[in-house]
Amino acid sequence: MDEDFDIIVVGAGFGGSVAAKLCADAELKTLMLERSENVGDKVISGLTIPFQGFLFAPAFIRDGNPPFERPADGIVNYIIKDIDKGDIEIDDSLKVPKPLSPIIAFGYNTYCKPFCQWQARKAVEAGVELRTSTTVTNFIKEGEFIKGIITDKGEKIRAKIVINAEGSQGILAIKAGVREKYPPETISLADTYDYVMRKEDIDKIFGYSVKMCWGWDEQKISPPLGYGNGLMVWPYRSSIHFMQDQCLRTDQKSVPNLGKLFDEYHHNITSKLLWWKDLVAPRAKLRARMWEGFEIYVGLNKKLRKMPNHTDGMILIGDAAGLESTELCDGVPAAWYSAEIAAQVAIEAIKANDVSKAFLKKYDDKIKAHSIIQWSIKGRNRYNLRIAQQEHDIKKLKKYIHQGWGLGSLTHFTTPFMKLLLAYVKEDPTIITKWIKMYFRYYQNWLHESYDYVKKKVIKVTASKRVRKKERKFLSTLRFIDLIMKSMLRIRRVLKIIIIPLSNSLNTLMRKSLPIIEPINSAIIKLLNPISNKLSNKMIKFVDKANPSIFYVY
Amino acid sequence: MVKTFKDFPGVQWVEGAGEFIKINDEKCIGCGNCVKVCLAGCFEIMEKKAKIKSLEKCLECAVCWYVCQEEAIIFSWPPGGTGYKSDWG
Ligand SMILES: Cc1cc2nc3c(=O)[nH]c(=O)nc-3n(C[C@H](O)[C@H](O)[C@H](O)COP(=O)(O)OP(=O)(O)OC[C@H]3O[C@@H](n4cnc5c(N)ncnc54)[C@H](O)[C@@H]3O)c2cc1C
Ligand code: SF4
Ligand code: SF4
Repeated sequence: MDEDFDIIVVGAGFGGSVAAKLCADAELKTLMLERSENVGDKVISGLTIPFQGFLFAPAFIRDGNPPFERPADGIVNYIIKDIDKGDIEIDDSLKVPKPLSPIIAFGYNTYCKPFCQWQARKAVEAGVELRTSTTVTNFIKEGEFIKGIITDKGEKIRAKIVINAEGSQGILAIKAGVREKYPPETISLADTYDYVMRKEDIDKIFGYSVKMCWGWDEQKISPPLGYGNGLMVWPYRSSIHFMQDQCLRTDQKSVPNLGKLFDEYHHNITSKLLWWKDLVAPRAKLRARMWEGFEIYVGLNKKLRKMPNHTDGMILIGDAAGLESTELCDGVPAAWYSAEIAAQVAIEAIKANDVSKAFLKKYDDKIKAHSIIQWSIKGRNRYNLRIAQQEHDIKKLKKYIHQGWGLGSLTHFTTPFMKLLLAYVKEDPTIITKWIKMYFRYYQNWLHESYDYVKKKVIKVTASKRVRKKERKFLSTLRFIDLIMKSMLRIRRVLKIIIIPLSNSLNTLMRKSLPIIEPINSAIIKLLNPISNKLSNKMIKFVDKANPSIFYVY
Repeated sequence: MVKTFKDFPGVQWVEGAGEFIKINDEKCIGCGNCVKVCLAGCFEIMEKKAKIKSLEKCLECAVCWYVCQEEAIIFSWPPGGTGYKSDWG
C-alpha cells in the first residue's frame, strides 16, 4: 500500500521538531503530530540547556536565534551542614570565569514553550506538516513492521518510518512491545514553582548563576541524598524557577508520600535558608506550580539501557529512547543529538529503500558511539550521594558534589567533550568561529530581547567609529582563527598521532592534576578579578552596540 | 472551556479530557501508592480499593502509573487538545 508520508514524527517536544525539520530539509514528506493544542503546552522542564547542547546541536539551532530567558554562567552549590545554625559551605567552582562570562555561557535557561515553538516553526518553514491537538493512540502494525500511526480520531496515517519522540513515559513504545515501563526507583517527580521577580533584583541576587542546595536527610530540606536533586533555583529574565524532585521509590519497597514531603521541603527551605527568606521571598511572587516525572536513573540500569531504541519501521529519540541524563538532568542535548542522528539514518534508509530493524541499527550504533550521550546517561555522582548520607561523611558529600556540579566534573567530562569537539573540528575547521559567533549573538539577543519571531526591540546600529573599529578587529580575529584551523588540518596526520591519544587520557590527566591546578586557578581568578570585571564590562558594551550582522553565520 | 484552580496557579485545564486514567478493580490491592504520589489528589482509597476522585487537576505526569506495581492503573493520554496546559513549564 502507498504511504501517505515518508516520515511521521510523534511529539513536537525538544527532539521531535528537530528530527522533523531535518527530514523535511532532505525533501522527505514529513508529518509531525502533537497531542497538545499548542506546541509546548505540555512540556515541563526548561531550566538550563547546557553549552555542549548548543555547540553540537544541529546547525539551525547553533547558528540561529532561539529564545531563552538568561545565560547561565555556572552553579553555586550550597552544602548545608546545619540549616538552623546557618552552617553552610559553598562550592562555586563550576563557573565560567570573567571576562569570559557572561558572554561565554555555561548554558542557557529557558522556558520550554517558546523554545519548542521556535523549533516547530523552523520545522514548518522547512515543509513539515504539523498537526496539533492530535494524540497518537497506536501504531499501524504489519507483522513486525510499524507502518504508520492511528490517531485519537481513529485516523490511520501510513509512513515509511515513524520517528517516535513521545517523551519519557513511552506509552506508545510499550504498547508496540518495543520497550517496558520503567521501575519507580528510576523515575523522579519534579515539583516546580515559577516566581515573578524584577530583573534588577535577579541581576543582584543571582546574577547568572544557578543555585543548588544539598543537605543531610534529617534536616528535611530536600529529598534524601541520592534519591533526587536537592533544591535548585534557576534565574530567568524576570522570573525564577524553583525545582525539588524525588524518586518514586526510595528503597526496594516503599513509595513516599510525596505531597506531604514536598510541602515539608518547600516550607523548610524557604523559611530557613537565609538568602531565600531575606532576599528572594520579599521580592518574588508565585506565578505557577507544576510537576512532571523524569527518567532520573534509567541510564544506570544496564537492562533498561539495553532496551531497543529502534525496530522495523521506527526509531525512538530523546527521552523516549531513555536518553535523559543521570547526573545533571540535561536531557535536551541528547534529544537534539539523537534527533539529528535519527534523521540522518531515516534519510539513508529511505534512499536505500530499507527501513528494516537491521538497517536502522545504524542509529543504535551511532548513539552508542556518541561520547557525550554515553557520558550523560551513565553519570553516578548524584546517585553516589547516598553513600555520603549512609556514612554521614561530609568529605564524601563534598567530593560527589564537587565531581557532579563543581569543577570536578572535568575529571569525567573532558574526554567525551574533546572527542566530540575534535570530530566537529575535523568535519568543519570553521566551527570554532561559528561557536564564538554563537555566544556573542546569543548574548546580544538576550541583551536586546531579540529572537526570531519575537523581536521586542530592534537592535540599533550605532554610527560610532570606535565600535566600527572594534567590529573590524573582531572579524579579523575570527578570520585569523579560521586560517589557523584550516592550516592545522593540513597537518592532520601529525595531529592525529598527538591529539587523539591526548584527548583519550584527558580525564585521567584532569584527575591527577586538578588538586594542584584548582587552587592555583582560583587564586589567579581572584587576583585578576578587578581587571577581568573591567574587561567583561567592555566586552558587554561592545556586544550591546555592535552591528548584529558581524555575529551572523552565513 | 478552560478551568483554573487557585491552589495550582499558572496551569489551565481544557475540558474534554474524559476518563483517560482508569483503575482495574480486580487488580488493585489498595496499597495506596497512587494516593501517596499524586500531587493533584486525584485518588482515594475506598473499601480497600483505589478510586479516582476526579482528574480535573491532573497534570498527566503518569507517576501514579509508575508506582502501581499491580498494573491496576490503565493509563492513556487525554484526547488531543484537552487536559492541562501551561506557559511556564
Ligand atoms: C522538571 C524537569 C526538569 C528538567 N531539566 C532539564 C534541564 O535543566 N536541562 C535539560 O537539558 N533537560 C532537562 N530536562 C529533561 C528534558 O526536558 C527532556 O530530556 C527533553 O524534554 C526530552 O525531549 P523529547 O523530545 O524527548 O521529549 P519531550 O520534550 O517531553 O516531548 C514529547 C512531546 O511529545 C508529545 N506527545 C507525547 N505522547 C504523544 C502522543 N501519543 N501523541 C502526540 N504527541 C505526544 C508531548 O506532548 C510532548 O510535546 C528536565 C525534565 C524535567 C521533567
Ligand atoms: S497503586 Fe495500584 S494497586 Fe495500589 S492502590 Fe493504587 S491502583 Fe491500587
Ligand atoms: S498522572 Fe499525575 S497528576 Fe494525574 S492522576 Fe496520575 S499522579 Fe495524579
